[in-house]
Amino acid sequence: MAEEKDLKTVLSNMKYNDDAKVQEQIVDQLLQVKTRMGRIKRKILVMSGKGGVGKSMTTVNLALAFARAGNKVGLLDIDLNGPCVPAMLGLKGQRFALTPEGAIPPTGPLGIKVASMEFLLQPDAPVRWKGPMELSPVWLGLQEMSVIREFLADILWGELDYLFTDLPPGAAADKPPVLAGYLPELDGAVIVTIPSEVATQVVKKSIAYARDLGIRVLGLVENMSGTVCHRCGAEEPLFSGDAEKIAREMDVPFLGRIPFDRALGAAADRGEPLLDPSLPSVRHFDAIAQRLTQALEFKKLMASLL
Amino acid sequence: MKFVCRKCETFMLFEKLESPAEASLGITFECPECGSRFSMVTNPGETSMVQALGVKLGGRTEPAGPMELTRETLKDPAVAQAAPAQSAPSASAISAAMGTGSGKCPFSSMISGMQQPGAKMEWSREALERMEQVPSFVKPMLQTSVENYARANGITLITPAVMEASKNAPTDMSWAPEAEKRLENIPSFVRPMARKEIERIARDRGLTTVTAALMDEAKEKFMSMGI
Repeated sequence: MAEEKDLKTVLSNMKYNDDAKVQEQIVDQLLQVKTRMGRIKRKILVMSGKGGVGKSMTTVNLALAFARAGNKVGLLDIDLNGPCVPAMLGLKGQRFALTPEGAIPPTGPLGIKVASMEFLLQPDAPVRWKGPMELSPVWLGLQEMSVIREFLADILWGELDYLFTDLPPGAAADKPPVLAGYLPELDGAVIVTIPSEVATQVVKKSIAYARDLGIRVLGLVENMSGTVCHRCGAEEPLFSGDAEKIAREMDVPFLGRIPFDRALGAAADRGEPLLDPSLPSVRHFDAIAQRLTQALEFKKLMASLL
Repeated sequence: MKFVCRKCETFMLFEKLESPAEASLGITFECPECGSRFSMVTNPGETSMVQALGVKLGGRTEPAGPMELTRETLKDPAVAQAAPAQSAPSASAISAAMGTGSGKCPFSSMISGMQQPGAKMEWSREALERMEQVPSFVKPMLQTSVENYARANGITLITPAVMEASKNAPTDMSWAPEAEKRLENIPSFVRPMARKEIERIARDRGLTTVTAALMDEAKEKFMSMGI
């Protein structure tokens, strides 16, 4: 009886056949992402090391700052399990309008197009997937990856100047590589932190992690860098740390500080974000947006200033 | 995943998909040579894994609907299928908002050259095998990184050694005083990015020192790009 060949030898003589049409569909999915995202000039992630540093608040207000400057802006909230962007922009209760061509995203203040898991959920309902969570949640990562892929591929963003993506809080180690994989042309990530010792230690890990993935770190934003007196408007420090120092140490642009402002928080809670460019917090975000623009277009700066 | 008929040394072909029990898939394969058939039956976890890919085994008969996977796999379908709060969009609104793609990608015929990482540059068999071990969503990024390194170093064949070397690309670069001084014209917060870009150009030229002449070249390049 002839000896059975080893599998490597057998495979070397065989031609792959995508008879179950799986590979074809996956390539179609990826090309759909590429086609849709190709109409967006700049794609920026907003991430943080720790949760609770005000990342979503920063994302929302950065998006508003860019829209205020006359740009067409989209905001993708991929905090699948705790979406809060719609509430901050007064879009709670809105839904996608589904069409054969794709899902039309609700539009918030200043024409910002918003996509969020919130638009597929009943009010206050958690995200619960069909599937045997109690037996094997191994598939969950793949499920979330496909949901993110659909957010990129199926939303009718149209032509945009900027798409900001609000990542889940904390490490959320799987989301940045998923996005970087789907979006090789990603412009980079803005990292949000607060000036506490604990947060600044973790933010270093975030910067290193983004770099490991080949994601350019566009800059660091220090949130809650102080308090604003609601009577006189004076700013006082809230923590003793310094994110600008971390930015220098880690060789990343420092984009600016945002003091804690009760009016800003209250406006987000009401779903009526602050838009008046004369307000101190709005001015801070406008300044950060300007610096972020320069960080994105640093080659233009090099062409004119070197 | 593919199955091999060891007797005929050929891939078995997908024949049909069934649902033999709740949350279970029965996928039948047949050897095109000897006609042997067998069925693979999945448990609920494996079924969810297959469904999470968002593909239909055997191919689609019609394009996927928008957010189809997300809507269909949320536990309470009534939640996902709630009527839109916005009024139905007009045809012009759809036209204004839609991208060029729809459920069926218009570029399917272009995919053959994009399916393997070695499409633009030659990859050795060993390098391709190594790439196969990388999670699919990381592959494009890794491929770009390795190929950029290879191009910068005049390498045309990517081997495992090149992949390894790309991870440890040298970063040491010296700066001539005049070049260092000119860099100070760039606002301080974006200076690190400018420094890295100049060093990248220097490495592309095979240089180990950034000079004023190189900065002139970089400046001209950026100006000519109209950026």
